Amino acid sequence: MSYYFLSIGGTGAKVMESLTHLCIAGLLPSNERLYIAAIDPDVGNGNLERTSTALNNFAVFQNLSVGNDTSLFKNKISIVRPFPWNPTGHDKTLDDLIEFYHHSRSPVGNLYEVLYTKKERDTTLNEGFRGHPSIGAAVLAKKFEDGSRLTAQIEKVISEGDAVKIFLAGSVFGGTGAAGLPTIARLLKNNLADYADRVSIGGVLILPYFSFTPTNKLDELFARSENFLPNTKAALKYYSEKENLFDATYFVGDTVMTPVSEFSVGSANQRNEAHVVELYAALAAADFYSRPLHAPKIFKYICHHERDKFSWSDFPASAERFVQFARFIFAYVHLIKPVLLDLVSGSAKAYKYPWFVDFFDGVDITAPDVVNFTFYAEAFAAWLKQIETLNGREVFLIDSAMFEANPAKIVDKKLFAMLDGSKSNLTLHEIFYRLTEPFKADSSVKGFGKFLRRLYDVCAV
Amino acid sequence: MACAAAAYYLGSNVTGHALATASDNMNYSRWQEKFFALTRTTALINGLCALLWFLAARFFFTVDEATGAGKRIIWAALLMASLAISLGVPHLYAPMLGIKLNGIIFGLNAVIFTGLGYWFLTIFTTPLAFKYTPLGAQFFGRRGV
Repeated sequence: MSYYFLSIGGTGAKVMESLTHLCIAGLLPSNERLYIAAIDPDVGNGNLERTSTALNNFAVFQNLSVGNDTSLFKNKISIVRPFPWNPTGHDKTLDDLIEFYHHSRSPVGNLYEVLYTKKERDTTLNEGFRGHPSIGAAVLAKKFEDGSRLTAQIEKVISEGDAVKIFLAGSVFGGTGAAGLPTIARLLKNNLADYADRVSIGGVLILPYFSFTPTNKLDELFARSENFLPNTKAALKYYSEKENLFDATYFVGDTVMTPVSEFSVGSANQRNEAHVVELYAALAAADFYSRPLHAPKIFKYICHHERDKFSWSDFPASAERFVQFARFIFAYVHLIKPVLLDLVSGSAKAYKYPWFVDFFDGVDITAPDVVNFTFYAEAFAAWLKQIETLNGREVFLIDSAMFEANPAKIVDKKLFAMLDGSKSNLTLHEIFYRLTEPFKADSSVKGFGKFLRRLYDVCAV
Repeated sequence: MACAAAAYYLGSNVTGHALATASDNMNYSRWQEKFFALTRTTALINGLCALLWFLAARFFFTVDEATGAGKRIIWAALLMASLAISLGVPHLYAPMLGIKLNGIIFGLNAVIFTGLGYWFLTIFTTPLAFKYTPLGAQFFGRRGV
């Protein structure tokens, strides 16, 4: 079995970010490899860039020798190139992509002119489809057939006898996702029709969960949050009529529209903070991958306990493994990394840290896998903190006040209990002590991977 | 106990006979008897240093922040206390017992009680969270790995 995840548009990229963290935390079923692809005409999108960085970090350290009997890093990730796949190219307008100039005086050309406004046709699409799914649908339908290597790669995997689960994620209220989800799902279904018994396609449709206020670009073509609900209504009507599009469909949204701190049409400035809705969407992907290949369609509703609050108990699956991973990352970022930096600079003595003497003999802490893990750990901590500090939604996953300083000021000995309420009695001292206790692992567990494995294990309750 | 036995055995055999005959109203067996009392007392008081270090490292030290690890200053302070006991107790207690000691005895006490009874012992008995705090502990293999 192979898992494929296809992110479509900016919201899809943010779901991909959450899924990347869940995958690295070992929350995907079995040890299957996850292939990640992205479709986004806005290749410089800040959200996509953040995810891309995390993925590239993991690509470097995913082969650390942590052993096979742990959930840590058990699901490897491969990035499907080109990443992201840009269906529009550079500085192209809808007219360019549709090759309107060949049809300008034909009946088809006339119909096209009726369907699309002059502004829609003339706006360059470097920053996505700007909340206009009608543009995206036309471009993707034309370009996916000849531009994407995804289908060819999946066909190759299937022809080798493997089954494939493909999961698509995107918004139904914006531009790229709303256009891409049904279009790509339909094209994949058609292209892989010969292998229907070995392919399952699922999708998460993200409903509106944020809002924004445009600033000084009123004459430009861009998404408007006041259109989100009408767009969603139209999209849901479409999906209700196309019930065979996905083998499993997940809908995730929020009743509170979280305001985006800084509006951007797209590009590198579009760096929206992580949201719990995206985490739920990523959990939907994990749920889809864990189901049998051709499971009967089921309809489930999940909700959280309190209308305006979200806590670990609202996780649709067991949160313990994820919490353990969170403790592991926070222990690394706030306790281990500062010590490593001090040791490298010579301002700390190794004898103070028995785990350093025991595990870091012969380990180059400036090696790429160590450096990339450190970058990743900081990105994960920042991501979880962003979810915690949502504007407009009360989330109680971690006590973010505990982590305002880096390294954390250990004012409360129950630091790690703050990560998940009162379940854990772990203290920093306990972490230090556990790290020094006897640790037997098979010979394949070695180097920096051995230390990470040990740290992960001691972060269990 | 082993340190006391070693200090007694070495002290009484290396220089004990000469020291006994140099003392007033003393023979070798009486000197041995009093020297045994001296080494036993020194060993008991010295043993408290190693015990104190173990108890502190096991029950009292906490690592509340990364830079708070180590505690070598406390270990070194107890090492100095051990040395003071190894030298001070014989220095003060021997006149009370009426026996004479020489530099070799003091040297042996320092090596056996402070070197072996505190330093060497703490290398192998320090709780794991502070296992490399005793000087040179890293050269004796990695405990608990």
